[in-house]
Amino acid sequence: MSEKTQKPLIRYLSDAQVEEIHERSLRLLETTGVEVGHEEGLKLLEKAGAKVDRDTRRVRIPRELVARALETAPAGFTLAARNPRKDCPLVRGSRPYSRNGGGADYIIDLESGEFRPLLLADVRDCYRLMDALDGIDFIAPVFGHDMPVVGRDVLMLREAFNHTDKHIHLRTFGGRNLRYMFEMAAIVAGGKEELKKRPVVSLLEAPISPLKYLDVTVDALLLCGEYGIPLDICVMPIAGGTGPVTMAGNILLFNTEFLAGLTISQLAHPGAPIQYAPRPMLMDMRTGFSVAGSVELGIMAACGAQMAHFYNVPVSLHGPWTDSMTHDDQSTLERMYMNLMAGLAGANVLVGAGMIQQSLVTSHEQLVIDSEINNIVVRALEGFEMDEERLGAEAIARVGPGGNFVADPHTLKFLRGERYTPSLLFRNSREAWVAGGSRTFLERAREKARTILAEHRPSPLPEDVGKALDKLVAEALRHLEK
Amino acid sequence: MSDVLEQIKKELYDGNVDGVRSLTEKALAQGLSAHEVLNNGLVAGMDVVGRDFRDGILFIPEVLLCAQAMHAGLEVLRPLLAESGAPTLGKVVMGTVAGDLHDIGKNLVSMMLQGAGFEIVDLGTDVSPARFVEAVRAEKAALLGMSALLTTTMPGMKATIEALEDVGLRDQVKVIVGGAPVTAAFAREIGADAYAPDAATAVEVARSLVKA
Repeated sequence: MSEKTQKPLIRYLSDAQVEEIHERSLRLLETTGVEVGHEEGLKLLEKAGAKVDRDTRRVRIPRELVARALETAPAGFTLAARNPRKDCPLVRGSRPYSRNGGGADYIIDLESGEFRPLLLADVRDCYRLMDALDGIDFIAPVFGHDMPVVGRDVLMLREAFNHTDKHIHLRTFGGRNLRYMFEMAAIVAGGKEELKKRPVVSLLEAPISPLKYLDVTVDALLLCGEYGIPLDICVMPIAGGTGPVTMAGNILLFNTEFLAGLTISQLAHPGAPIQYAPRPMLMDMRTGFSVAGSVELGIMAACGAQMAHFYNVPVSLHGPWTDSMTHDDQSTLERMYMNLMAGLAGANVLVGAGMIQQSLVTSHEQLVIDSEINNIVVRALEGFEMDEERLGAEAIARVGPGGNFVADPHTLKFLRGERYTPSLLFRNSREAWVAGGSRTFLERAREKARTILAEHRPSPLPEDVGKALDKLVAEALRHLEK
Repeated sequence: MSDVLEQIKKELYDGNVDGVRSLTEKALAQGLSAHEVLNNGLVAGMDVVGRDFRDGILFIPEVLLCAQAMHAGLEVLRPLLAESGAPTLGKVVMGTVAGDLHDIGKNLVSMMLQGAGFEIVDLGTDVSPARFVEAVRAEKAALLGMSALLTTTMPGMKATIEALEDVGLRDQVKVIVGGAPVTAAFAREIGADAYAPDAATAVEVARSLVKA
């Protein structure tokens, strides 16, 4: 019988250590608590039995509430795409899906190499590029500097719907904006009920470390539950800054913050789809900078994934991340080990394609490179099939000592299927390389980006859907400007 | 173009040895000439295979299977192509040079050349200049292919070319060299006729050398 090899999985924490982090998190929630300013959120928590100090807005959450939340949180869900063939099911033990990092403000220009503000034209190219790349599974918004400030998140979603039929992962600047964005998603999905079944958008929101939930985050927790939109609770203490300097302490803090958010979400809407998104950072004690590409982040994030597996919820980790200022060797090295560590830790989502200088800068060639890196990591996690035929003992006997397998029937039978064929990695002779213009890895990535941008046309929205979206966007902008 | 020739091309592309053999017989039975079947069926089919191989669509083992299918058809035509003799492009003496035991690359080139219609005389590994010279003389080889994987054994190529000169055979045979450390510059330096960086190029180079 054919059998797949084991799924490789990094485990830093022993079972006892997982239990200890969980237990300490519960104790912190009961004794120290979290700060929540949001009135509706506070009432919800108070009614459920949390101790609320109205003056300090401090909420102390009993462990029973957390236990109940952990029971109702779903183990998996699908990030649906406008094109169902591009759905991303987040299921434990399954392959990871990747997206770009959201929110970049700058771009390294594909043609001039210049570092400059990101503009709407770049945003459109970014979306179109990601729509075409097979190693980028869904898309997070980046923002153009030449767009209006008010309603920029709404406008960016409108652009995204135009340029991709993949799942779209949102950023928002406020609860009012968010409701409009979910209504837009409902139009694309074919109604509010359809949207619950097939959420074509998802959201990320982050509490402020340490232990503080802003109104916009609680808005997101409540609204996502109402609309059935998957939400990443992104917990990102900076070790030594907004979190303890030790890895253990930082893990304890982000886990506590996650459980608080999960509890609010499940109290309001039991069964709301929540993803654990541990995004630990660390402060470089020589400069005070927050670091994105350090190997310790990979370790802490992997521990976060262990906690997510313990809680049986999907987990999103930073994949191709770097502190480098441009697409150079440091960038490629950091993003490869970060991405591989995250994949090996059992992440459902790998975040960060295209990102340079933490999450501040993006570039088209970087998206192309990261598509390749993601594909390689997915392949690495896949392992292989093993059975009588694939073991090939008969073929080995047939070929015998000193022969070769090139034209053996066994070779012909299994020639295809096991190997990933890279699109950017060069594996031919020096002559072939010289004949192709002696192009470096980065030059090949640029060339591929140019080709895609020249040729790729995303599948258009139905005309009536586009019109309905435009009408809603216009209404949103009028409303938000007031 | 006749249907049966199209079918031959298709079966050849799929590497169907029996299919190509029986279709070749069918084509002759339908009254097509052997040359027509050869050029517009088998050779035309292999051209498609060669193109898709170059474009990375077909892999080496598949090309070898296609070549086997082509040879099955060729065997049917062979008696009818008597006036031009056996349809072979010429004999190639192949070997890995003295002191070197690596042979998968050399074997690959041999198989690819055979697939392309050359007749191969493979001397194996650790072949001395004297053995190369003797084989070229005895086989009346059109081509000599030498392979080396080590920089320490590469000088064996030069020694062999000098040995061919010494006995006056150098003008009668074209020499191709290859192997991981070998370069085009080295090939020129030792007086080889050609260099091929990979098996596919080796076939192209060999073809152009026998045409010249």
